[in-house]
Amino acid sequence: MMVPVRCFTCGNVVGEHWEEFKARAKEGDEDPEAVLDELGVERHCCRRMLVSHKDLVDIVAPYQ
Amino acid sequence: MVPDYDVTFIERGDREARFLVRDITPAFANGIRRAMIADVPTLSIDEVRVIENSSVMFDEQIAHRLGLVPLTTPDDYEIGETTTLALDVEGPGTAYSGDMVSQDAQVEPADKNVPIIDLKDPEGSETPQRLEVEADAVYDRGREHAKHQGGVAVGYRHLQTVEVVGDTDEFGEDEPHILRGVIEDDGELVPTEEFDNDLTNRFPGKELVVEDVPNAFVFHVETDGSFTVEELVTQAVDTLHDRASDLKDAVQL
Repeated sequence: MMVPVRCFTCGNVVGEHWEEFKARAKEGDEDPEAVLDELGVERHCCRRMLVSHKDLVDIVAPYQ
Repeated sequence: MVPDYDVTFIERGDREARFLVRDITPAFANGIRRAMIADVPTLSIDEVRVIENSSVMFDEQIAHRLGLVPLTTPDDYEIGETTTLALDVEGPGTAYSGDMVSQDAQVEPADKNVPIIDLKDPEGSETPQRLEVEADAVYDRGREHAKHQGGVAVGYRHLQTVEVVGDTDEFGEDEPHILRGVIEDDGELVPTEEFDNDLTNRFPGKELVVEDVPNAFVFHVETDGSFTVEELVTQAVDTLHDRASDLKDAVQL
């Protein structure tokens, strides 16, 4: 639904970088690899948190 | 008798650092690592009073997300002491960790851009979605709950040396020799990232023997922003010291 606050595996705070990652890599046309490197999300456990995330609030909202 | 330890920094930042410690036993190195994870207290939201929550998430989910947000650590708190934070956001818009207002000026969210919940203004609804909560943050240790751990991915490796013992077979296969960590080469400390973690880049065409340096450990420490690496490490060592002296007092005749 919302992006996880922390990485499930290592506990690093990844929610902090979600909006910038989304704007630049998911909706923008930058290379996700370069964006993650720049944001300082180094480990692959933290990277998968952002790469594999999908915001679902807009989809769920009408059924509340 | 407290011996002095030889500490050299390889990388040093507020939230991430790498340093070499010499002349400590593996048991002591592990003791420091464990103290950093479990014994250094931080503040973390533990109890949430929900005044209004008309968002798409349940109260418990919101409380869970708030608990994971790192808070800056004040310096005069006792274990179990609490402080209060409040969050009041109305849609349409997103409630961020940075929207939390704290009772104590020393306490604030360490990361301010963590989205807590997206609030909407649904069509056909009279009022937009709203989140108003009051939260108690408790000062406690990592061993009570993982949200109180100030250190993230804390670990250590042996310092290693690379010795050239000859030349490789001229017609042999060019295989990479991957090594991670820090190597000591002629008294110089070289992180393996400098040669892309591949020893064949630094010593082309050489037969190598890699060995651990006894009792020399390279720590890699990261924090979640609750405090700096320096505070985390010194507090961890202090807790070890306190526990050792408690034990000494307890067994004294």
